[in-house]
Amino acid sequence: MKNIYNKISYIGIAAVMMLFASCTFDEQVDPNGPSVDGVESNATIGQLNELVVGVEASARNGIAIETTASGTMARELYLFDADPRNTGDLLGKNGIGLDNNSFYSTSQWNGSYRCIKNANLLINAATNSNAVSDEERRGYIGFAKTMIAYELIQMVKSYDRARVDVADENNLGPVLEKDEALAEIRTMLNEANTDLTGATFLFNLSAGFNGFNDASSFAQYNRAVAAMAAVYAGDGGAAITALGDSYFDLMGDLNNGPKHLFATGGNDALNGLFKLQSTTVENQNNGDQIIVHDSWINDAEPGDTRVANKAALRPDPTASQDDLVGAYETRLYASSTSPIDILRNEELILLYAEASMLNSSPGDAVTALNVIRNAAGLPNYTGGLDDASLTTELLNQRRYSLWCENHRMFDLRRFGLSNTLPIDRAGDVIYNTLPIPLSENE
Amino acid sequence: MSKTLSLRALVFSLVFFPFLVLGQNITGTVIDGASSMPLVGANVIVKGTTNGTTTDFDGNFSLDISEFPAVLEVSSLGYTSVEQTLNQAESVTITLQESTTSLDEVVITGLGTSIKRSNLANAVSSVSSEELVGTTSQTTVDGALYGKVTGVNITSSSGAPGGGFAVRLRGISSINGNNQPLIIVDGVYINNVEIPSGLRLASGANAANEENGANRLADLDPNDIEDMEILKGSSAAAIYGQRGNAGVIIITTKRGKLGKTKINFSQDTGFNTIANPLGMRPWTAQSVEDTFGPDERDKYEAVIASRGSLYDYEDEIYGDTGLITDTRISGSGGSEKTKFFIGAGYRDEEGIIANTGFDRFSIRGNIDHEISNTFSITSTSNYVRSNSSRSFTGNENEGGLSYGYALAFTRPWVNLYPDANGNYPNNPNYSGNSIFVRDNAKNEDSNNRFIQGMTLKTNILNTEKNRLKFVLSGGVDYLSNSTYVYVPETHQSHPDPQNPGFIAVGNNDFTQFNSQAVAVWNNDALANGDLGLTTQAGVTYLYQDRDNVLTTGAGLLANQTSVDNSAVQNVFQTRSEEKDFGMFAQVEGNYKDQIIATLGYRLDKSTRNGDPNEFFGFPKASLALNIANMDFWNVDAINQLKFRTAYGETGNPAQFGSTFTSYASTTIGGPVGQTLAGLKGDPNIKPETAKEFEIGFDVGVLNNRINLEATYYNKQVEDLILTRSLPGSSGFTQERTNLADLKNTGVELALSGDILRGENATWNSRLQFYKNTSEITRLDVPAFAQPGAGFGTGLGTFYIEEGQPVTQLVGNIDGELQQVGNVEPDFQMSWSNNLTLFKQFDFSFLFQLKQGGENLNLSRFLTDLGQTSPDLETPEGQDRLDSPTNALRFVEDAGYLRLREVALYYRLPSKTVEKLLGGNIEGIKLGVSGRNVFTVTDYSSYDPEVSVNGGAGLSSGIEVTPFPSAKQFYLHLNVNF
Repeated sequence: MKNIYNKISYIGIAAVMMLFASCTFDEQVDPNGPSVDGVESNATIGQLNELVVGVEASARNGIAIETTASGTMARELYLFDADPRNTGDLLGKNGIGLDNNSFYSTSQWNGSYRCIKNANLLINAATNSNAVSDEERRGYIGFAKTMIAYELIQMVKSYDRARVDVADENNLGPVLEKDEALAEIRTMLNEANTDLTGATFLFNLSAGFNGFNDASSFAQYNRAVAAMAAVYAGDGGAAITALGDSYFDLMGDLNNGPKHLFATGGNDALNGLFKLQSTTVENQNNGDQIIVHDSWINDAEPGDTRVANKAALRPDPTASQDDLVGAYETRLYASSTSPIDILRNEELILLYAEASMLNSSPGDAVTALNVIRNAAGLPNYTGGLDDASLTTELLNQRRYSLWCENHRMFDLRRFGLSNTLPIDRAGDVIYNTLPIPLSENE
Repeated sequence: MSKTLSLRALVFSLVFFPFLVLGQNITGTVIDGASSMPLVGANVIVKGTTNGTTTDFDGNFSLDISEFPAVLEVSSLGYTSVEQTLNQAESVTITLQESTTSLDEVVITGLGTSIKRSNLANAVSSVSSEELVGTTSQTTVDGALYGKVTGVNITSSSGAPGGGFAVRLRGISSINGNNQPLIIVDGVYINNVEIPSGLRLASGANAANEENGANRLADLDPNDIEDMEILKGSSAAAIYGQRGNAGVIIITTKRGKLGKTKINFSQDTGFNTIANPLGMRPWTAQSVEDTFGPDERDKYEAVIASRGSLYDYEDEIYGDTGLITDTRISGSGGSEKTKFFIGAGYRDEEGIIANTGFDRFSIRGNIDHEISNTFSITSTSNYVRSNSSRSFTGNENEGGLSYGYALAFTRPWVNLYPDANGNYPNNPNYSGNSIFVRDNAKNEDSNNRFIQGMTLKTNILNTEKNRLKFVLSGGVDYLSNSTYVYVPETHQSHPDPQNPGFIAVGNNDFTQFNSQAVAVWNNDALANGDLGLTTQAGVTYLYQDRDNVLTTGAGLLANQTSVDNSAVQNVFQTRSEEKDFGMFAQVEGNYKDQIIATLGYRLDKSTRNGDPNEFFGFPKASLALNIANMDFWNVDAINQLKFRTAYGETGNPAQFGSTFTSYASTTIGGPVGQTLAGLKGDPNIKPETAKEFEIGFDVGVLNNRINLEATYYNKQVEDLILTRSLPGSSGFTQERTNLADLKNTGVELALSGDILRGENATWNSRLQFYKNTSEITRLDVPAFAQPGAGFGTGLGTFYIEEGQPVTQLVGNIDGELQQVGNVEPDFQMSWSNNLTLFKQFDFSFLFQLKQGGENLNLSRFLTDLGQTSPDLETPEGQDRLDSPTNALRFVEDAGYLRLREVALYYRLPSKTVEKLLGGNIEGIKLGVSGRNVFTVTDYSSYDPEVSVNGGAGLSSGIEVTPFPSAKQFYLHLNVNF
């Protein structure tokens, strides 16, 4: 019997030795992508520049949904596509409320904050890196802060509020009301402008930023964003000053300004606002189309070239979806790789007009509005110089210059005119603010 | 030593038989009661001794018996054991009857040991080959399990041939991680992955799990299976440690038996047809005008005038009759030393949509060889080639590909057929023409798979009281899969409108390797061996890697189907590597088959945990009391009364990648950049741990003529790993970490009986009942909508909330979140029956009942929107159109009663066979059968068994235009040589 137990214990010992001989597993590394921690401490210039590309690329996130959702809510377009909520929820069909857990409320929020996080990670990485000089570091930081500020303004436009302090994902700051948020955003832009002064860009931005791709010219873009923030905050004086330091030019090319680029590469993105043109009744594209709201066509001044440039009559103008119909469809973009303007001179001129009105300089406002009108083939403005008339004219020019560019809903909201919108179907309800996503646990 | 009988005793007796005793010789024959055919390999043992033998290929045995009277115990797998008393040396004929639940069958529960069912402390379900495929022909193993096992819930994510099933044992055990049981075939850990094809890049589906691919258990031919054992909960599966959380399915394939070589040929021929067509809205000219206006009425009237009726596109797309053939040939046999089973099968199945189908060629060779009394080896080899063509169904966004989605908007007066030149018109009301897609677009995959298992057994020691063996086993499962998606450039809609046409070619390699070393020591303790102790200890190692490369092309040259003939090409790669290592030990004590107790412990580590070298421990303990075996028991009518209880823990590590927070690559027209991938990993993540307590009793009456098994379980899953939504403003959208606890409790009842046991009529019946309820008992974060399981609270979603079932559906109703349903059934039942009449006719049927459980029918959302729901000519239907499109509108009761299987077979009498075909043919069986023959349900769509999100995670019960389910009918021919 002893013998047996001995044998068994030998085998036991052998088994234990086998355990010790068994491999120790190595620390695991993600084979599918670089780790965040690996970049946060002592990043190389190459890594910092990769983060810059990430910030610029992710600034495109959510842009199509942001534009079609707010455009639908502001009755300047419909999106006919596979998702019925585009013609249901957003128009308050049968009184249904907006949902805070659906793509239209979450995509742009998550998309913009992804870009903001990329920018914050860039700021951290640049701050902790020994590979760059102070001037170079300030280049990265000034770029990042300007990009953050622009994205936060988009949040205010869609949600009327924004969470500004988001650098630490575990300790998020409060969601701020519009005025407070804009104040923070303007401070951030001014900090960025200071950072950019005398800074050096070690990185290349995409061709969309041609003309704005070194520290001093990028600062002009920073000032343009600052002017926009100032106007939205009702600060006409600061806006005029900022415009002076930007690429605003009453005589200049209306299209001058940075752009989002799109391309067909694997990790690139396409312009989601481009829709295939319908050419005949038979091949009419009704399943994925941006339909121009009939009121935009009907309310246009005769001869406004912007209408023909941006919209075209559909081969079958009666084709409906969800009881909605529009005779025109979008021609805003020529292809799925057409760039989308971030902030072009045309918008700066309109901001100048609005800032002038805030500063009680109606003459300057009319000058600017006439630049826009003339460019659209329209004669000079002949209406009154009172605030109400000028506001109507300003909003009208913005409506046609910036159609389908995510402005109309915010413009009507900030002037308290959302309730003037038409109701297309009995039972529809007008909303002018998207709900903050459910995941924010508000 | 009254009733000790176990495999080890048998092995022992066979090895030492020549030396043991010399007495008077008796001979006998064992026959199968149903067929009166000799029974090969039945065990014959003199009760109370280790003296025994097995029958030869003529069913004969011979034994030397030293003392009379003697009681012979005769047993065989799948038969009720018989005891026969012999008063003198004589020749005997013993008849064994087939049994629905055989208490003597052996159940594999440890990693190196097995136990008699009558001594088991857990409710382990076994499914025999006969139960699995004996009634009707089956495409996949998981699809064949419907209604056959208590505690199992099977979800089908696609009615396409080749499956798409998710098996859940005793409820949900993980919300994001693996919910599919571990599947082990002959000792080889099997890959059951659902492989995405990149179809979503063409269709606009939201995620890979909306592509509704097949899970790769589909590669295993159900006809190869001899027996399945299903360890449903942690208490039974604890010895599998961190791979056992969702239960374990142990599959044993057919092996050779001692006896002359048998050849079996069988042929199933049948067809698929849509189970439940929904029909068309009965349009009238007036309703067309009311709905769409006078222009559409003109079109409607024009079509009625020209062809007399509308186009029935449901029938056009789903109305095909798909031919099914399944041909198999196998040979098996063996000598004392070497036994073999070789077989090949080919199944070819067409779907109810033209150009869809599944085929599988499988070849198997199983060999057992005894090298000497000390060494024996077994080898199990299986090569499979399978192909499927699943076409386009389910959710999408603007792809124009999914049939159901497109048909929801297709008006039946619109002509979608090609003209004389083969040009298909555009669909004016949706982004795709379904006829074009069916005829021209492709979604296919093919698989080459090799599964090899090896076992080497060494009997180190064999004495009267001690037996020690060492078992070394291992296996490899190599799967090479390729997927192919092709959308012609002439299709109506394109993800990149500038570059029409789309091709995705996937090349996916999976390798799994597992090995195991176990020492098993059997010791007969106490004075006369009354206490049998079985001790085992060992180590296991599991390695898995995958490398998935997807190449896509857009902008195709006209009529070209190769990815290099495209303007824009993209490549995506996903890799993963996982390693697990475990150690275990278990002691089982058996006191005279009266008290059976087990204690075990397992330690595991995994590279998927935060610390890859930290060991996690999983204990187990169980106790079974066989009251009827105890000396005081004197109720003859009750031959079995067993109380059993078991406790065990198992784990489930996080899915691969959960420890990482990573960047993804991005570009904007220039050099590559990094953007946050959106998932916040947890570098300290721990495995989910389930603790299950199970208690039950088994009663056998009238020599097991009637059996009742009753089980209650309480399974607590702790530290559930959740992928939860993070505030988007953090820059992350999701986080994966240990956040919650979950409780599943349930009851399983199974009543089986041999209702008739007559000479000319036998009738076995089995009635099963089971229910499970779940509750989230802890949630460290605010309640949240489960990402990827639903379409947001607007339309309804799974919603993780403390105190509520994990399977609840929640929707935003007038601004308030409200529970609108629960996909978990109230209970499920099944009733299976086998009748044999005049020894020649077998009639069997299986009913399955699912009571309660709700689905979100979002197909209806689409058909309402397209105005094509069949009930829209009724006032109720019209009223529905005016209600808000929230979850409350689309939730429906998904209970059903289904005749799952029914069959009638005729066995030609052996004399007839001999007369007609000579002596070479032993038996011929002919039959007809049906599967999913009819369903009674209030559910308004094709099939209440549905899941738009595939088989992963919580998925079930949400419907978006699935591949409709089919019913199948077969003719069978089975010939034994």
